[in-house]
Amino acid sequence: MNLKPISAKAPPLTIKAINTTSYKDRLLGYIKHPLSGLLFLIVTVAALVTFAVLLFIIGYILIRGVPHLNLSLFEFQYNTTNVSMMPAIINTLIMVVLALLISGPLGIFSAIYLVEYAGSANRLVKIVRMTAETLSGIPSIVYGLFGMLFFVVTIGWGYSMLAGALTLSIMILPLVMRTTEEALISVPISYREGSYALGAGKLRTVFRIVLPGAIPGILAGIILATGRVMGETAALLFTAGSVAQVPDSVLGSGRTLAVHMYVLANEGLHVNQASATGVVLLVLVLLINWLSAAVAKKIVK
Amino acid sequence: MKKQLIESVMKYIFMLAATVSILAVALICAFLFINGVPAMHEIGFFNFLLGRVWAPSDTPQVFGIFPMILGSIYITAGAIIVGVPIGVLTAIFMAKFCPPILYRYLKPATQLLAGIPSIVYGFFGLIVIVPMVRETFGITFGGNGQSIFTASILLGIMILPTIIGVSEAAIRAVPESYYEAAVAMGASHERSVFFVVTPAAGSGIMTSIILGVGRAIGETMAVILVAGNQARMPTGLFRGVRTLTANIVMEMGYAAELHREALIATGVVLFVFILIINVLFNLMKKRGQQL
Amino acid sequence: MKKSIALILVCTLALFLFAACDDGSSEAPAYGNPSQDTPAQDTPAQDAPAQDTSNFDNRREIIVVSRESGSGTRGAFVELTGVEVSADGNTTDMTSPEAVIGNNTNAIMTNVSGDLYAIGYISTGSIDNSIKAVNIDGVEPTPANILAGNYKIARPFIVVTMDGLSPVAQDFLSFIMSQEGQEIVADRYIPVDQSAPAFESNRATGTVVVGGSTSVSPVVERLAEAYQEINTGANIEVHATGSGAGITGAIDGVVDIGMSSRNIRDSEMENLYQQITIAMDGIAVIVNNDNPLTNLTMEEVREIFTGEKTRWSDVH
Repeated sequence: MNLKPISAKAPPLTIKAINTTSYKDRLLGYIKHPLSGLLFLIVTVAALVTFAVLLFIIGYILIRGVPHLNLSLFEFQYNTTNVSMMPAIINTLIMVVLALLISGPLGIFSAIYLVEYAGSANRLVKIVRMTAETLSGIPSIVYGLFGMLFFVVTIGWGYSMLAGALTLSIMILPLVMRTTEEALISVPISYREGSYALGAGKLRTVFRIVLPGAIPGILAGIILATGRVMGETAALLFTAGSVAQVPDSVLGSGRTLAVHMYVLANEGLHVNQASATGVVLLVLVLLINWLSAAVAKKIVK
Repeated sequence: MKKQLIESVMKYIFMLAATVSILAVALICAFLFINGVPAMHEIGFFNFLLGRVWAPSDTPQVFGIFPMILGSIYITAGAIIVGVPIGVLTAIFMAKFCPPILYRYLKPATQLLAGIPSIVYGFFGLIVIVPMVRETFGITFGGNGQSIFTASILLGIMILPTIIGVSEAAIRAVPESYYEAAVAMGASHERSVFFVVTPAAGSGIMTSIILGVGRAIGETMAVILVAGNQARMPTGLFRGVRTLTANIVMEMGYAAELHREALIATGVVLFVFILIINVLFNLMKKRGQQL
Repeated sequence: MKKSIALILVCTLALFLFAACDDGSSEAPAYGNPSQDTPAQDTPAQDAPAQDTSNFDNRREIIVVSRESGSGTRGAFVELTGVEVSADGNTTDMTSPEAVIGNNTNAIMTNVSGDLYAIGYISTGSIDNSIKAVNIDGVEPTPANILAGNYKIARPFIVVTMDGLSPVAQDFLSFIMSQEGQEIVADRYIPVDQSAPAFESNRATGTVVVGGSTSVSPVVERLAEAYQEINTGANIEVHATGSGAGITGAIDGVVDIGMSSRNIRDSEMENLYQQITIAMDGIAVIVNNDNPLTNLTMEEVREIFTGEKTRWSDVH
């Protein structure tokens, strides 16, 4: 008698799918129907071109820039010899913090209103949605123009980090609003109903039950907005200016990493340093985007 | 009672926050139009919009932005010609032809393309594409590499992620029954995808093109480094042009009085273009939903 | 996601490890010059850069490089060379519509050094080894020739301010016009006051924002460095944004001191308080180092920059 040991795993069921064709059969099929072969070819070539271009751009910037990354580029004091990007990096961090401080709460509170308090057929909600969409379509140079006219000239701050941060916060507001809305909607209604059933008021429900559940999505949106702020140039040229130092106060002018790269590229003197700056900028922004995607995945879990 | 009070106060705080975006749009519109429209009136609407000469340093000053409008239109059209075929075909590949193992890497790769800042694209265009175009085409066509051609290539690459993302979603949204019916009738996989599924996703693909157009028209940094910035009527595919966006950035630093207001009016024109595109986009979405 | 990023980066680096080997030798100096990482030398005397004129093809068209319309250098250049025409109160800048526009001095130099067939114009004080300055009517663009009046394309460096300057800004202006300041000017430009008094600082503290011409800013930056060593409590910010931006900025109050590399117009002076000439400077016509051209007549300069002459064969 053959006693097979009882294994913890059952033998896997292999179901052969019906409408899959082996590569050999497909190739023969293309000879019989050349149009299909041609279509397959152009589709594959297009995809190859897209990804080859991506690899080429990232690869070229890295290859061109990494050899020129040296410590002098990271000195704290900028002068025309070392073209240090450290002040630009610090300014970028300051700009991100300022912009998020302003647009973060605003965006989250707006989204809370849109999702929790107002019905979707509400007229106000429709107008807010429409204006948010308009805001997200406006080109960054128009933002820069508005920021210059309003914050720099009319209010009188001059070229300042504050003007730049306020302009940027308007720019990323739709993004924060939209991602927070989606995060809030993804919290199951049963959470809210359970909380009401237990006697909690609306405010407590929102802040203690709904928001914590939506935090991954909100975080993902904020991180995405950070990436957007870091890559922004046109809106900052005329609001925050392009002084290559860390300003003494938020009312002082300072250039961020992207503006720094634009100035270097425009002058054309320091191509190698510009490439190195590009590497740092690229790596930072890509890291941020990847972080955002990773955090957003937590919602699914 | 106190709890009720806090509840209503907070509700109004939230509502106030929501109205900030309305306030922002109103402010932007107000400042742009208040500063720009009187300038257009002073220069003359048709002189401004259709004038073929832009000469702010001459006496008397001449402000005609038609060369820049054409520049923006040509470069956007070029970007569409470059970006849409490759983008849509790539979207078809990723939705219908891509092996699942590969897809896990390719999807994030297209999002990578979307994340690269436009100044990095511009810099890349300046040190790679411009010399390439100059060496290849400069002998026969003249020019120094900074041209409509170069800008179109660069912008086409930049709008690829937008087109791929939205088109792919549209193709995936087509009901599987369309594809199955075509295959059941005897069509090959390729024919079913190209002649049945893709046309069904038509409105979604149109949406992606409109989004791409919006992105291309508003692009500043990349264009300024590769398009040549000559403020005259476009004279050829391999000659430079100036776009509306580049015009604002280049001259805003030193513009005074009427010149500055003319640049703000340029911003108004851009703003109106984008609004028109937004309206088109919404119309297309509504049509897509009705189908 | 981690895997995908790592995979892409590794593939990229591997792929281009081979490409990078070739990159150095076969790549023509199409953009920028690898030797340009150090700023222009302070000594006016320079060794003649190594030339290789054998590749120059006369049949190619002339690539005219010009400054933006708000540039003081452009304003002075087009006026002095006749590129700008005036007729009963109207002036028209006839610079070739095909001209490539560069936003500042360095952009012009990069364009010209990177393109064999380009021609442009910059301040004589900014000349370095990456480009070659041509003689005009046989006269070399040196400070001596400018002072003697032999080199015709010359213009003043002017700073403008509004009323009510802060004490530290006043002090900086005094430094520029003092003996030490004019010595720094004399390094590459022509000082305006040969017998300036020695400098006495008033030890004021604070920030001074200086903005304007990209031709003037190199010397003002050097002046600022020297001044800040004497008066450590002062902080001078220098922005190189263009003459037009400097004048407008001074009027708007965005900058304390505006720098201009052309004469101030009457309409601008109405809004300003004072203008001070701090130096004289020439404008040099520059070409690529491998361009065999060494001399141009004023008429030829005008014809090239208006686009009347389009090919290099028309000039030799």
